[in-house]
Amino acid sequence: MKYFLYWGCALEASGSNFLASLKPACKSLGMEFEEIDDWNCCGASISYVGANDLSIKVLNARNLALAETKGDYDIVAPCSSCYIQMNKVNHEIQENEQLASQVNEILAEGGLSYKGTIRVRHIMDVLFHDVGVDRIRENVVKPLNGLKVGGYVGCQSVRPYGEYDSVEKPVIQDLLLEALGIEAVSFPKKMRCCGSGIFLTEMEYCFGLVSEILADALSNGAQMVSTVCPMCAMNLENYQGRINKALGTDFDVPIVYLTQLMAVAFGLDWKKDAALDYNIIPPEGVLHASIG
Amino acid sequence: MKDGVNYNPSFTQEVFRNVDFGDEIKMCMQCGVCAASCPLSLKMDFSPRKIFSMVRAGKREEVLGSEAIMLCTSCYACQVRCPRGIPVVDVMHGLANYAVKQGYVPRKETCGFAGEFWKQIYRIGRIDEKELSRRYFFLEGFFQGLKKTLEMMDMGIVMFLHKRMKLLPEKKIKGIDSLRRMLDKAGEIGKGGGGS
Repeated sequence: MKYFLYWGCALEASGSNFLASLKPACKSLGMEFEEIDDWNCCGASISYVGANDLSIKVLNARNLALAETKGDYDIVAPCSSCYIQMNKVNHEIQENEQLASQVNEILAEGGLSYKGTIRVRHIMDVLFHDVGVDRIRENVVKPLNGLKVGGYVGCQSVRPYGEYDSVEKPVIQDLLLEALGIEAVSFPKKMRCCGSGIFLTEMEYCFGLVSEILADALSNGAQMVSTVCPMCAMNLENYQGRINKALGTDFDVPIVYLTQLMAVAFGLDWKKDAALDYNIIPPEGVLHASIG
Repeated sequence: MKDGVNYNPSFTQEVFRNVDFGDEIKMCMQCGVCAASCPLSLKMDFSPRKIFSMVRAGKREEVLGSEAIMLCTSCYACQVRCPRGIPVVDVMHGLANYAVKQGYVPRKETCGFAGEFWKQIYRIGRIDEKELSRRYFFLEGFFQGLKKTLEMMDMGIVMFLHKRMKLLPEKKIKGIDSLRRMLDKAGEIGKGGGGS
């Protein structure tokens, strides 16, 4: 199982615990990754202020073209924003010949071209559909029995295409959590947006969004919240102190990446492989209580 | 002129012609599912549905000067539910891009941050979070910058201590020159204006 891994800018900084845990957890499952050489930023969800749509298409087409020259594997984009930007542009190019030739005319400035043969996929998609829950279950040596986790899906990991899971009632993250022995807690706000890329600049408006998500997960019994998006993790975890101060709440909820829980359940090193020490709200206590 | 609806079809045509995905507004039947699905619609001055209606009514100042077009979190909840298949998020982004190009500043902070975000992509091909924050904090001069830095410093320190910050400055990607040529060309050919 070989893929291109397009991890993007955030996973080298604020989302570093995602990348650090994803690599060893996926390696245990027999997945092999190749970096796209000299990749550029996908534009994320706020480039539109400075750039028109065609510029953002070109950004992503360049990465697709660079990958296409190296092999015919699918691209896995763990960051939801990278996933949606790249997947969206890929669809648009594949479905519109006129656009494809326009984009290729521009890519020619850098001696590149994109034929449209690559598939862009989310990490949850490949974990569920290519690897499968059976194989994941086989790799579990430390089942996280009794641990109650709210699988927060957010926005861009399934919307707008819903290619591998429902856009309204997604289940795949819960099924992956359950394969680790976890009790996946269902909470209605798991599809509600956390504020995404405008959180920092619209904090007062976005505090309420995160507060509602956390309160909903807690009231349904979650001990921690898992995510598969660096923006969700940042907004849900790093701002908890500020939210408590602004809204008078007392949240102290560990926010972990799905891949961190996988690494723990696979019996890998909590620091080196699960990168739990990267987390600002420590999840170790709750995990110890579960594993024993 | 008396009060009442002053339709300005020239603005409607302007949006259909110059705004990315602007002509998709033709499909809107004003059902309001977008407004009901939006996480921030209650904070917006006009819901997406109203924005679309105002485009049709030719309300140029109100649309391009609205805060709503800059408050889209890009969560696509509206887009997956729109019964007419309008890419609502893309339309809102298109309007924000066009408004900024026309000299409007819909939400100062988000507009400034997002502008710096794009400039950094154009400059190095990637995003360096700490450098982006610094440039955003200091957009309005030294003292404002110092104030914002101090306000957010606790978060920065915690992230640094937890290895959530890249220490070395991000280098330019190898193909930065050709990437810039591509983006310049896309900016010229595409709608709304773009590039650097």
